[in-house]
Amino acid sequence: MNVPAELRAEIEGHMALYPDPRSAALPALEAAQRLHGWCSPAAIEQVAATMGVTPAYLESVASFYDMLETSPVGRHSIYVCTNISCSLCGADELYEAVREAAGEDAEFNVRAFECLGACDIAPMASVDGVYVGPLSVADVPQLLDDVRAGREVLASKQLVRRPCADAEARS
Amino acid sequence: MPRPQPRTIAFTIDGLEVQAPENAMLVDAAKHGDVEIPVFCYEPKLGQPVGACRMCLVEIEGIPKLQTGCSTPVKDGMVVHTQSARVREAQNAVVEFLLINHPLDCPVCDKGGECPLQDISFGWGKGSSRFVEPKRHFVKPLELSPTIAIDRERCILCYRCVRFSQEVSEDYQLVLQERGAHSYVATFDGRPYEAPFSGNIVELCPVGALTSRAYRFRARPWDVEGAGSVCTLCPAQCNVTFTVRDERVLRVLARDHAEVDDGWLCDAGRFAYQPPPAREGVSPTEGVTATQEGTSPTQEGVTPIHERVTAPSARITQPLVRDGGELRPATWERALQEAAAGLRRAGSRSAALVGGRSTSEEGLLLARLLREGLRSERIDTLAGVAPAAQRRLAHPELQARVSDLEFAHTVLVLGAEPARDIPILDLRIRKGVRRNGVKLAIAGPEVSSLHARAQLNVRYAPGGDGAFARALAAALHGEDLTAAAHAAGAEAEHVRALANLLSTGAELRSGGASVSAPQDIVILYGEGVLADGGAEAVARIAAGLKLAAAPGAGLLGVPAAGTNGRGLAEAGVTPGYGPGYVPRESEQPAAGVHEIGELLCDGEISALYLLHADPLRSQLARERWRQALARATTVIAHAEHLSEGLREHATVVFPAESNAEKEGTIVHPDGRLQRLRAAIGRPGSVRAEWQVLCDLAARLGLDLGVLSGPMASQQLYDAVPFYAGVTLEEIGGRGLRWPEREAAAAYA
Amino acid sequence: MKLLFERIDEPGLNTLPVYERRGGYEALRKALQMPPEAVLHEFEASGLRGRGGAGFQMGKKVSFLPQGAMDKYLVCNADESEPGTFKDRELMQKSPHMLIEGIVIASYAAGATRSFIYIRGEYVQQADILDAALAQARAAGYVGENILGSGHTLSLVVHRGAGAYICGEETGLLDSLEGKRGNPRLKPPFPANQGLYQGPTLINNVETLSTVPTILRMGGEQYAKLGVETSTGTKLVSVSGHVQRPGNYEIELGIPSREIVYGLAGGPPEGREVKCWFPGGSSSPVLTGEDLDIPYDFDSLAKAGTMLGSGAIIVVDDSTPILDVALKVAKFYRHESCGKCTPCREGTNWTVKMLERIECGEATPMDLELMASVQEHIMGNCLCVLGDAMAMPIGSMIAKFREEFEAHIESRRLEAVHA
Repeated sequence: MNVPAELRAEIEGHMALYPDPRSAALPALEAAQRLHGWCSPAAIEQVAATMGVTPAYLESVASFYDMLETSPVGRHSIYVCTNISCSLCGADELYEAVREAAGEDAEFNVRAFECLGACDIAPMASVDGVYVGPLSVADVPQLLDDVRAGREVLASKQLVRRPCADAEARS
Repeated sequence: MPRPQPRTIAFTIDGLEVQAPENAMLVDAAKHGDVEIPVFCYEPKLGQPVGACRMCLVEIEGIPKLQTGCSTPVKDGMVVHTQSARVREAQNAVVEFLLINHPLDCPVCDKGGECPLQDISFGWGKGSSRFVEPKRHFVKPLELSPTIAIDRERCILCYRCVRFSQEVSEDYQLVLQERGAHSYVATFDGRPYEAPFSGNIVELCPVGALTSRAYRFRARPWDVEGAGSVCTLCPAQCNVTFTVRDERVLRVLARDHAEVDDGWLCDAGRFAYQPPPAREGVSPTEGVTATQEGTSPTQEGVTPIHERVTAPSARITQPLVRDGGELRPATWERALQEAAAGLRRAGSRSAALVGGRSTSEEGLLLARLLREGLRSERIDTLAGVAPAAQRRLAHPELQARVSDLEFAHTVLVLGAEPARDIPILDLRIRKGVRRNGVKLAIAGPEVSSLHARAQLNVRYAPGGDGAFARALAAALHGEDLTAAAHAAGAEAEHVRALANLLSTGAELRSGGASVSAPQDIVILYGEGVLADGGAEAVARIAAGLKLAAAPGAGLLGVPAAGTNGRGLAEAGVTPGYGPGYVPRESEQPAAGVHEIGELLCDGEISALYLLHADPLRSQLARERWRQALARATTVIAHAEHLSEGLREHATVVFPAESNAEKEGTIVHPDGRLQRLRAAIGRPGSVRAEWQVLCDLAARLGLDLGVLSGPMASQQLYDAVPFYAGVTLEEIGGRGLRWPEREAAAAYA
Repeated sequence: MKLLFERIDEPGLNTLPVYERRGGYEALRKALQMPPEAVLHEFEASGLRGRGGAGFQMGKKVSFLPQGAMDKYLVCNADESEPGTFKDRELMQKSPHMLIEGIVIASYAAGATRSFIYIRGEYVQQADILDAALAQARAAGYVGENILGSGHTLSLVVHRGAGAYICGEETGLLDSLEGKRGNPRLKPPFPANQGLYQGPTLINNVETLSTVPTILRMGGEQYAKLGVETSTGTKLVSVSGHVQRPGNYEIELGIPSREIVYGLAGGPPEGREVKCWFPGGSSSPVLTGEDLDIPYDFDSLAKAGTMLGSGAIIVVDDSTPILDVALKVAKFYRHESCGKCTPCREGTNWTVKMLERIECGEATPMDLELMASVQEHIMGNCLCVLGDAMAMPIGSMIAKFREEFEAHIESRRLEAVHA
């Protein structure tokens, strides 16, 4: 099995962190997905060869987790939270709008996602891991443009820039 | 690890006070009170309970929530209810849940009639469902492997099959994909599940999700009968049940025996029988390709098992006699006459070779025919193992049991590859390592499939078996091992490391005492090790590790002669020894297989009797044997199929019984006498081997005194001193280990 | 009173210098000078109950770990996935060292030498922040060998999940951390005896562990004076849904719920009323607007038939049909059911199908009975709590909004007929 050296090194680095190297399965699959775009059979076989486990084991693991893709997807993931709090604030319309705007663009992997843990900025989305919200349908074109242009996504709406809601905590 | 010795406790179940072993799981403990707690996922053979199906929920006083009976160990004084309203409601609920996505296609399901889901639905379900929505759908059935079909709609996700793959055979090929209600059983990338023990998942499946492709649509449970016997494909001698319909074996199932097979069966044992064609009215000679499956449009690419397994040549069902250079069908009278004439002509210049699948009775009778009828001492199996070595190492005191592999402190696999030589023990060794922390060491010329499980793997050169044993013995006795290790093609350091593992393991277990106490080390060796001074060496290894005195320790030899190698040797099919390893006094020097070959080439032997044996198929010196057979004037064979050697060289061929047609005794490598029982009638004019041998002996003026199969068996038990007093009844369906009987004292 | 959130937005708090300037890692120094039993005693005296959802006494949990020399593990559950919950996210992002300090102190008390933060994979930015903070803490000798010369050694790894709610369940988390599918395990054995890699394991939530430095600083007894008797201390509450100021608030346990929903979060938009609210994440049985005066603490909410859970209040106002809420909730649990046990796997699936049937006008009022019965059949019969986590809220919605459900059924049925 020909495993790209960098991937092998990254996986072995993860394996070294744990008393049982099998613990590295998730980070290893994540690394392979980053390289291959998804957990393809080839990607899984490379991880299996590095970790010394069977491909079936890894495929079984990969298919269990929402963030590991077991079929080909676009390079940029846009997870729109459509769980309860976000949907109370219009997430379902938002999701439809993102899907429609992304259209057939193969660059995007638009998914309705379960609660992303950011109900304070509902409705929201995670764009390649960056949380943005509250979003309105009007934000969608810029969101996609930012991703296409490789810019910071909706800089003003990023969660990391948001102060705590608790007024006393801010004083 | 010492075997657990649970104490007996008393608990109450459904108002009944019941005695049970402490910490037995409630579902097992309940059986002591004749209470059945329904289960799907629970199967102790698969390891720890998983509590997934929730079918076994019970009420335990003092615990507010219902508990799973499969995972709750019984304690003294526990009060359990399995029939209360709460429990009944939970049981009904679980059955209802399980059935909502089950297709209920029982009328066309192979499992119908022998299906735990049917039985439990009937016994513990409400009989109706409130589910009106569409069910889950999958493409069905699919080819999971060349031998197994999977119907995912029927699957109730009990996890048994994937646990087998992961925790028993440890091949980790069969897994759950996706999660929740979308979960399904699959292999990586949809590739076939090909593993040596894969067929066990069919038996484990509590529904019709996994079916044997060879058995699909061939019978209903009410069409068939089960007949218990023993598989004779290898020395593991797994206990089996033949599923019989209309005098045909349609299926082979495992017949759970904790001391033999632990309830498993390898794929060879399970699938290497010839299933009859599927369609009525189509004769087998037309080369049927269509099965029932082939009629379904979803079945493209599905090829029936019997086309994939290399089809052996047609079964011989009547005697054949060489006539005008060709083997031609003949009457029994003619065949017996020809055979008797050939043997009579040769007299003491006759010899016999006995295949490992022969029963001990057959071996005994043939040996008598040779020795008493023809005054020939030239009889052997095909293995060529020195009988004295066999005799020494088969001593009852040195004998380990199969289950000792599971509880030993250390297991040494020496010159054997369990997965190939005695497959089911591969699973047993894995079990010991996985569950009980047995230390495993492997020494051999190849990489074992158990390699990754072993604490220590030592390699030596092919053919270096005996020398390696000498080196190890030397290391254990503190002698110089350099020469022997060199001869074995092994690193002296590795030999020392192995000796160290075996002996320090012993010290650790004796609690640091300076003198190492007898330890439970089991050595599983291939008989190839006995050559080249290896037999003496193995005996010295056993002595060095004090195996004789330790219960749970000892030797297990994998007979080179095959399935019944041990039994045949004990029955006297061995040069220079009669039944029970009693040395023979005779004018003619005894000859083993190699000498027989040479004597044939030299023209010193002119008649050769082949009982389920073809030296061309099993001897390395093929060319020499080709010459040998060509020089023989008479070659008499018992065979089910014509092998190349027989086709070319046999003068008379008697049609032989197949395993399922045969009765008799075989002996497991651990000394267990096991009974073969006829499950089906013999086809054509096939006769029992004992009968043929007796008829032939009679024509040579020898009365073997056998008028029935049981009489042959009795003669065997009477002939071998350490079998004394054994009866067929005593052997029964579970076998009987002679080394545990008093008569074992008679072992010379 | 702000303990966890005290000046939480201070710039640079996620870096070691700022955290130290504010007295960070002083609690650790203090703890390391005490015998581990004394640290444990402080936990017990604080009365701190786990902030992850189950509300189990933290000190007691630590004390369950067996004594003696063996590999023991501490796992921080940062798989914050309960819908409506986002407090741990804010803590980790803004004050990662507080968590790390808490982990080191707790590991000292528990005798654990290896620790892991299992953070949900979606929290990419927070995991990066934690990794950076961990590198600083390691460099400063707060994590690693012989911490501050105490002889206590602790390794800490930030382990990222990959998207599965069930990994928030502690045994599902352990399997996932071992590199497997996140299937919950059968209990017993409990993680305290046989957890990660079969070793004794302490599992605590981010907020719980982040509270540890404060407890050491204040003293357990002082801490216990905050809040009410059986619910001591302060708690982060995530408020979301139909409120004007959604977000995390640190409250003293025992204040009236109304104060949180209306006082802090501003209540529903103008002209709207609270129809129902989840007091402790989407797994908690719903309460109605009439229940807003219930004190917000573990026992008061339990008495009201629901639970404080993860401290996530989701407010639904009267503009939203209850059917929509039920469907969202049920679909979530169906999606997240691991599939290992029957009642959860099949029950969540069936419940969604029944709700969908109501939605498309194919149901009758009898189906409500059926749905309620299915919830009862799930409750208490599953391997872990996920099945109950759906059955409880759905059951409560059927019980409290039966008329609305019936009206839905009728109107949707009529719509379907006319269409």
